[in-house]
Amino acid sequence: MSEPRHMHLGLFILGTGHHVAGWRLQEAEAGAENWPLIERIAKTAERAKFDLVFFADALNTGPNVHPSVMVRLEPLTLLAALAVRTTHIGLAATASTTYSDPYNLARAFASIDHLSGGRAAWNVVAGAFSEAAANFGHASHPPHDVRYAIAAEFVNVVKGLWDSWEDGAIVMDRATGQFADTSKMRELNHKGKYFSVKGPLNISRPPQGYPVIIQAGASETGRDLAASIAEIVFAVQQDLEIAKNAAADLRTRVVKFGRDPRHMKIMPGVCPIIGSSEADAKVKLRALGEFSDPVAALKVLSERLGHDLSSYPLEGPVPELPQSAIMQGHAVTLSALARKHKMTLRELRDYAASAMGHRLLIGTPEQVADGLEEWFLAGAADGFNIMPPWFPGAFDDFVEQVVPILQKRGLFRTEYTGRTLRDHLGLPRPAHPRVATNVV
Amino acid sequence: MHLGVLLLAAGNMVSGWRLPEAEAGSQNLLLIKKVTDKAEETKFDFVFFADGLNSFAGMHPSMVVRLEPLTLLGALAMTTTHIGLAATASTTYTEPYNLARMLASLDHLTGGRIAWNVVTGAFAEAAENFGAAKHPPHEERYAIAQEFIAVAKGLWDSWEEESLVMDKASGKFIDAAKLHVLDHKGKFFNVKGPLNITRPPQGYPVLMQAGASDAGINFAASIADVVFTVQQNKDTAIAFANRLKAVAERQYLRNPRHLKVMPGICTVVGSTEAKAKAKLAEIGSLTDPDYALKALSERMGTDLSSYPLDGPVPELPPSTIMQGHAITLAETARRRNMTLRELRDFVGVSMGHKLMCGTPEQIADEMEEWFRDGAADGFNLLPPYFPGAFDDFADHVVPLLQKRGLFRTEYNGRTLRDHLGIPRPDHPAKERPISSDRLRQASMT
Repeated sequence: MSEPRHMHLGLFILGTGHHVAGWRLQEAEAGAENWPLIERIAKTAERAKFDLVFFADALNTGPNVHPSVMVRLEPLTLLAALAVRTTHIGLAATASTTYSDPYNLARAFASIDHLSGGRAAWNVVAGAFSEAAANFGHASHPPHDVRYAIAAEFVNVVKGLWDSWEDGAIVMDRATGQFADTSKMRELNHKGKYFSVKGPLNISRPPQGYPVIIQAGASETGRDLAASIAEIVFAVQQDLEIAKNAAADLRTRVVKFGRDPRHMKIMPGVCPIIGSSEADAKVKLRALGEFSDPVAALKVLSERLGHDLSSYPLEGPVPELPQSAIMQGHAVTLSALARKHKMTLRELRDYAASAMGHRLLIGTPEQVADGLEEWFLAGAADGFNIMPPWFPGAFDDFVEQVVPILQKRGLFRTEYTGRTLRDHLGLPRPAHPRVATNVV
Repeated sequence: MHLGVLLLAAGNMVSGWRLPEAEAGSQNLLLIKKVTDKAEETKFDFVFFADGLNSFAGMHPSMVVRLEPLTLLGALAMTTTHIGLAATASTTYTEPYNLARMLASLDHLTGGRIAWNVVTGAFAEAAENFGAAKHPPHEERYAIAQEFIAVAKGLWDSWEEESLVMDKASGKFIDAAKLHVLDHKGKFFNVKGPLNITRPPQGYPVLMQAGASDAGINFAASIADVVFTVQQNKDTAIAFANRLKAVAERQYLRNPRHLKVMPGICTVVGSTEAKAKAKLAEIGSLTDPDYALKALSERMGTDLSSYPLDGPVPELPPSTIMQGHAITLAETARRRNMTLRELRDFVGVSMGHKLMCGTPEQIADEMEEWFRDGAADGFNLLPPYFPGAFDDFADHVVPLLQKRGLFRTEYNGRTLRDHLGIPRPDHPAKERPISSDRLRQASMT
């Protein structure tokens, strides 16, 4: 059977755009608390048959952070609102395993999966910013490897809680008065290193079995965690060869964990800057650069490199820095890029300001489509997480000009063929462990 | 008067879902949406979703599995336009930063229609789902709750109004002078702030509370805008309301009119009294006695399964959970000389709340009497099943209340605070407190 292989497309919604200065463009509408705008963008993505929309998250803020993340609607309540205003598109959000409770988070995602009829996805993050610790009564952020160990156990607990009720456990038999078939209920009784959770969860099994699990770890531990649990991996590579190697490495690790590598979709972030000609696109990028707030831009770069860079000379070379304990994927990728192109700190700052350190695709719609196709066919990507520099125009351009080219080339769906996010991604619904055991 | 409906979607009565005309299921979004739409058409102040953080075989069918309330409110935010949306969340098993954010986000999504029913987490079983060795004792839970609320309010005040400037020309995104870092260091919480969402449209979401113990009454008097209460007897209810408002006024210097006392009532409406009673008997006959005894045990704070059903209701030590229910039920049993079986069946139909069974006129009369005599500022309706029992109330009792001038016929505001007639709290940074009405007038001139 030779089904056409399609790429997967996600839209990474950041309310003021991915470029730090995107909101300043005359045509931009902005605001991470701007519900009508967010709803409109999500519906555009659904019309374009995107696999999912994605909302990142963080648990801290301050006056100098990227404007899209300074104040924003809370992602889980936002997904719930979108669940009833959309019908097909997947709804993904970040939630931290360091600063939430497995019982609460398992419930919220199960609830969103029920509300959306099986369209929820959870981007598992171990909580990258150490500033968050101060909002949760912790003296300090746990170290990198501890955070990943917590994350691995957290995800296990959450899956166990999602399995509290077998499918069909709620019978509601009026005649006999049996509401739930409690032989299909099980207590988790988890006692681990970081969590003790008895269960059962007070919501039945999500329509997708488990919501789709997303992960973006790039460190050694992060890649292992991704390989063991992730069904989508958000990646940050800039260079095709490096991306191919990273994808091959991840797929090898997936096999090591006994999983089918086809059930892990690697989706690098891409920031498209589209123009009627390549020169026109470059003019747009330059205009954005001129609007940039240098303090916010340097803060974005500092976060990605894991060091406060405000005291380094901007015209000097990008300094050699010790290994970052946060966002290692970005740190490695950006350092390599700076070395390769011999960039000054100012140049790297302006580059990172455009797409928060992700790959830029600048040019005509054909050139952007070519850039996506090349990576897809080379095995460096199963799809892409699209990061428009501003909203809604830059995304509308992508939908109106690039998506039709991808569709004409047979690289992207023209209609949804299923109803759940697992359907869109071609991922199987995980069987309940008891059922799975019985089958064997 | 104010009206809310507690949407326990398999019904308030443990067996309500078994009626042929009942639709059921706390995961049934279509039913929940239908009831919410009806409540909005009827101009209710709010719909309310209770919550718990545990489940077990034999739990009340409305609670054994259910949609998570905060995400549910996010969905209902989009399907409604005026009605208030209230949900329970625990101060014992959540983080102030996470909860303050979610509630603020919901208040933004609804344009100011959110209420938070603050519970300290009544069921000890929840502790085991959160790695806690044991449920903190009653007094400590209230101390935690008190500090939690102070932190949440402080986080909601992270950004003054109009701190988001978004001036494209100058590139000024925020007015940093209007950003406040909380830096809370307390006995139970250390939270630095600021919160990553602007001040909720209502300033703070409406706060609801249902404490009935001494600690609970104190807590409610200090923070609650709406107080849920379990009352069977009008005089006791009047005394409770008076005490609560007196504590609010004297001890916490609050305007007692800004605190709305709303007893729970379970209504069974019939075109004649006989028909209402027949309906009640029908529901009663479907009640699973084990569910009912479990519900009674929870309310009394003691496992009653080993006591003789036909003996008197035993004298029990004071409950450390659900004290309002325990006190009210014990008093009711004493007053009516009830056996344990009788009290069990009573709880089976009403879950311990006041049962109003009769014609629309009879129910409206009793509600009016409680309202006029100061026993209630409004009522929290607990229909025995959905949607029929709620429709009966909405279609037959509410019009009588409206005709008597006791209940609104149109919404005349957009936020839940508007519906309840309680002012929007100013940001503490304001030098002089100005009411939102005066602000509106000032901005119009």
